[in-house]
Amino acid sequence: MNDPMKIAATHLTEAEFDSCLIGDAAPESAAHLASCESCTAALAELEAPLASFRAVTLAWSERRSATLPLDNLAAARRRAASGWRQRLAVSAGLAAAMAVGVAIPVLHHQKALDTPAQTAQNTAAAPEIHPIPAASIPPVAAATETASAVPQESPAQQIRRDNQMLRAIDMELDSRTESPAALGLLPATSVNPSVPSQMQD
Amino acid sequence: MSQVPAAGRVASELDDIDALVRTYRARLLRFVAFSIGDADLAESITQDCFLKAYNGRANFRGDCSVNTWLTSIAMNLIRDQQRLQKFRFWRQARATAIDITDAASFLPSHETSPETRILAKEKAREVQAALEHLSPNQRTVFLMRFIEEMDLGEIAAATRMPINTVKTHLHRALKSVRAQVGGAR
Repeated sequence: MNDPMKIAATHLTEAEFDSCLIGDAAPESAAHLASCESCTAALAELEAPLASFRAVTLAWSERRSATLPLDNLAAARRRAASGWRQRLAVSAGLAAAMAVGVAIPVLHHQKALDTPAQTAQNTAAAPEIHPIPAASIPPVAAATETASAVPQESPAQQIRRDNQMLRAIDMELDSRTESPAALGLLPATSVNPSVPSQMQD
Repeated sequence: MSQVPAAGRVASELDDIDALVRTYRARLLRFVAFSIGDADLAESITQDCFLKAYNGRANFRGDCSVNTWLTSIAMNLIRDQQRLQKFRFWRQARATAIDITDAASFLPSHETSPETRILAKEKAREVQAALEHLSPNQRTVFLMRFIEEMDLGEIAAATRMPINTVKTHLHRALKSVRAQVGGAR
């Protein structure tokens, strides 16, 4: 048991004052403070700077807070709420861009695979090929229809059709740009000057 | 008459963000500002804190006061900011440092005499200067105890520190502040 007379006679130490300030006062310290004016005054003296700091800083923050508009926060809240929609739109855009980025090299690669086979076929069958009039080249719309009909054709038919179309295009391009007749190197005896003479009947 | 549970009342209080801001912004701004010592950054963090609280209001269980909950959110944002600052080699000059010298003029005049206000301003400035010498943990618990007037249990819950660790930080912080504040024992 603590002697009440001893508690009253012994003033609080610095650590005990601190314990009182932080809200962890021992029962003995509280009992002493209740009966000792000197320690009570000392505790009030220790508390004074802290109370001043609390009051002055609250005055500062209330003044500062009063100058801040409320609608800034509302706008930020709306931004936060719409953030997921923006992220979704950006993700969809990125996905579309990646799909296009992947599709173009794949198409180029397929064309590169088709071209050597078609060239070899052209070389072997060159003497037998007859000139194809430009009118027989399927227009773009027809090509589109052909493309849409791809799933209904067998691969062999599709390859044959594609080769035919490419051959026609090659022939047309060759006859226009590279034939000796077109360049004026052959006499104009050809029936059709746009077609190489070796291919004419 | 039916009674609304405390958690329900608090949840509805959190639903009104404007009322929440009006009620708690000044206190929260003070805590953040004197934790980091930068008034402009404190405004930004305070705003983030309210947004975070509003968006996470469903997670609030009502086992502490709204002020304590907001303070713990603010403390996490301050820690994030302090972590970020460690990697900033170009630390900004203290252009937006807090100046409370004018604040004493805004103390309620009917309660204090001009002399008291001057004295309060001096003491407050000394405590503010002493805060800069505390470690981040010491400063946080000091502000929670002496500015927010939270008890030891609330501080321990908000900081997720054992209560004895909180006491240790508080004792060291008080000792340091008392050593620098003139007139203290």
